[in-house]
Amino acid sequence: MSLSTHNVSVGYHGQAIVKNVSLTLPEGKIIALLGPNGCGKSTLLKAMARILTPMGGEIHWQGNNLHSTPSQYLATQLALLPQTQPIPEGIKVKDLVAYGRSPYTGFWGRLTKEDHKIIQQAMEQAGVTELSEQFVSELSGGQRQRVWLAMTLAQDTPYLLLDEPTTYMDLNHQVELMNLFKTLNEAGKTIITVLHDINQAARYCNHLVVMKAGEIITQGEPESVLTKELLESVFSVTAQIHTDPVAHTPMCIVE
Amino acid sequence: MLNRFKKQSYLVQCTALLAVLCLFIWLSLFSWSIVPVSASQAITALFQTDKSIIAHSIVLDLRLPRALIACTVGACLAVAGAIMQGLTRNPLASPSVLGVNAGAALGMATVTILAPSFGLFGSSVAAMLGGAVTWALVMVLGSAWRGGEHGRLVLAGVAISALCAAFTKAILILHEDQASAVLTWLAGTVANARWGHWHQLWPMALIGLVGAQLITPTLNLLNLGEDNARSLGIKLGWARILCSILVLILVAAALSVAGSIAFIGLLVPHMARSLVGHDHRKLLPISAMLGALLLLAADIISRPIIFPLETPAGAILALIGAPFFIYMVSRRNR
Amino acid sequence: MKTLLSSFLLALLVAFIVALSLSLGAVSLSFEQILSGFDASSEFYFTIHEYRLPRSILAILVGGMMALSGALVQGVIRNPLASPDVLGVSQGAGLAAVILMTIFPSVSIFWLPWAALSGGIIAALFLWFLCGSHSGAIKLAITGVAMAALYSSAVDFLMLTKPLEVNNALLWLTGSLWGRGWNQITMLLPWLVLIPFAFSLAKRLNLIGLGDDVATSLGTSISMTRLWALTIAVGLTASCVSICGPIGFLGLIAPHLARRLVGGRHQVLLPCTMLVGMVILLLADLVARIINPPIELSAGIMTAIIGAPYFLWLLFKVR
Repeated sequence: MSLSTHNVSVGYHGQAIVKNVSLTLPEGKIIALLGPNGCGKSTLLKAMARILTPMGGEIHWQGNNLHSTPSQYLATQLALLPQTQPIPEGIKVKDLVAYGRSPYTGFWGRLTKEDHKIIQQAMEQAGVTELSEQFVSELSGGQRQRVWLAMTLAQDTPYLLLDEPTTYMDLNHQVELMNLFKTLNEAGKTIITVLHDINQAARYCNHLVVMKAGEIITQGEPESVLTKELLESVFSVTAQIHTDPVAHTPMCIVE
Repeated sequence: MLNRFKKQSYLVQCTALLAVLCLFIWLSLFSWSIVPVSASQAITALFQTDKSIIAHSIVLDLRLPRALIACTVGACLAVAGAIMQGLTRNPLASPSVLGVNAGAALGMATVTILAPSFGLFGSSVAAMLGGAVTWALVMVLGSAWRGGEHGRLVLAGVAISALCAAFTKAILILHEDQASAVLTWLAGTVANARWGHWHQLWPMALIGLVGAQLITPTLNLLNLGEDNARSLGIKLGWARILCSILVLILVAAALSVAGSIAFIGLLVPHMARSLVGHDHRKLLPISAMLGALLLLAADIISRPIIFPLETPAGAILALIGAPFFIYMVSRRNR
Repeated sequence: MKTLLSSFLLALLVAFIVALSLSLGAVSLSFEQILSGFDASSEFYFTIHEYRLPRSILAILVGGMMALSGALVQGVIRNPLASPDVLGVSQGAGLAAVILMTIFPSVSIFWLPWAALSGGIIAALFLWFLCGSHSGAIKLAITGVAMAALYSSAVDFLMLTKPLEVNNALLWLTGSLWGRGWNQITMLLPWLVLIPFAFSLAKRLNLIGLGDDVATSLGTSISMTRLWALTIAVGLTASCVSICGPIGFLGLIAPHLARRLVGGRHQVLLPCTMLVGMVILLLADLVARIINPPIELSAGIMTAIIGAPYFLWLLFKVR
């Protein structure tokens, strides 16, 4: 009930990409936003993270309009990991992760013991503890992605919004990340992520939202959402749906 | 009117420009003189010289070399700019923007002050060397040959200019302790031109201008892009070296008599291109005439500003050229 | 720990160069002579108290302020090539000051910083208008450079048509500390108020370095921070320019050097940048003074000789 959109239209330069979307995101789940390129899934995510202001409609957080809620407070509730990040010069990994604590720190950014504990924990969860003394600019793409994830985790919010977090990662790190989502989810966090890989979404997420051309086509559990007809109409592919022999979740195989 | 002029044939355009040029030369012979010179005296001085009339000797000894030098310097810089723009396929390229001016000025200042015994010829050679060094540096740093961004090349040029200008100022101040002379020289002026300068200028200018006209077919092919040019049988390395040498001759010639005059090389090729298009065979002569016209006009305009003192024509040109530079930069990047 | 040590060493370096600048010059003084120079009855009183001391203090103030302004600009627009002088703000401020001095010579010198400030603001707004808020590093720098060329050619023109005293002209062309004294220091003092404001932005500048999206999601207002940081930067630059002329490349290189020393956290970076700026300007002024006395080069020539190659290197490196 916490995060919901009501007739929301969002876009760039007066052009709506997301059109009139009303959506309630179930609390306590791992939610994947799926859809072909340009369908507006990232745009919708950015609107929910208050990066973009809707052209029409409202986004509600705990029943209040998101865009009139104090930004400092929201920063303790919603964390965003964008798809691409700048590479800050002369910043060490531990500094970057510590920046995630800034909604809680005072005006000079001084860290308490509690803050240090949370930073340590976030780095462990993202598997970057051994990188902590390195400069962010010296890391590989996949390492950097995990460092930024640690920063987002250090923000310690009940909701995590992620825009294609697995893009630059090796397969083993992708699996680790998705398993980390499960752990975090079990600890009570709601995770909303844009994903490219339908099978990955079906295997690790328990709620799928499928979009096409700025509108929501369907949503629900993977078993009910992932059908032959949906793949045909949204992604224009003919595919078969089978059951994953390991996880027993649905998976699609393109013919 | 401009549109009608654009539609005329190339020959008509050339003739018209030449006529306007003659008109401006005539104007520059008599306008704003401390000793009054009448418009008719300016003509009679040329054809029925009477050395006993003061106005006649003013026209012949001061005004005529000044006008000729302004024309030649303007033409040299404009053609150098056109070659550089063709060579780098970068519309912002020009001797002043890419640092060749500043490098040549530094070379010249060094030799003139530290080794004055080399004389005028020595300083021209030094100017060429200085220009060559900066040109090579800018090219390497701006990575122009590898199709680097246009902006990077220009920024490299600006930084090198700043560096050379700092050294030039340092040398001149340490030597002269006179900032205003430095300034006049750096701004560029033809006010002090005499026949001696002309004799030094014309051989180099002639070589440069004729040479430039001879390489125009190559420039046209370079315009098609490196790969195409190569497949059409152009030896890229040699073409570039040849073009660079011509640019350096032209810039050094202009600089050694008039000081560092900026923005003609940037401005004029664009004006010429809007008249005759991208064919370098037509573009270069038109650029030369327009460049001559522009510097001559700037020289005439500069005279009344603090009359009877002289304002460097280069300062006027910078005031016209800099907004154009901004316009080009912001238009390109849109 | 390393950062503390670096800052301490930098501060020591500043003190050392100040001592050097007090002792070296047309006449070299020993340590005892310098000390006696603070006594009004001493023969060195004039050299030390009226000439070298105010000049060193001014170099400290101007170096620190210009460097700080560069760090603010680089931090807030995330562009390693940016600085008030590359973006034309210094030259715009200088042009306004020169216009005031040459065209309205009767106006009190009190108005000089304010004229410079308005010139700097206009230059910044003009650049903003031409480039918009989302332009790449190279584009912003090249437009700024073009603007700077316009302003400096206008200054050249005014200098040529309405000649000032030679050394004064040099000041406005390259930036110099020549002939500056206690008067100018008192003119600059009120502007030091901006420094605490700049420091108060440190935390938000860190977050802006993470990108607009993340900074917003961490609760920072991007546009407000930008507005504040740029206004403070223009104010710092303009006040310095109105007194010492546009000293080039100082605001560009000091933050880069400081970042190499102490990293990119602005809480440490901002004070360190100021120290680095002080060192550079003190050194530049010292070298400019002692290279061939009594002729003086201007400090701006020296900073350009160090700064331009550094700029080229950055240009080579930047993506």
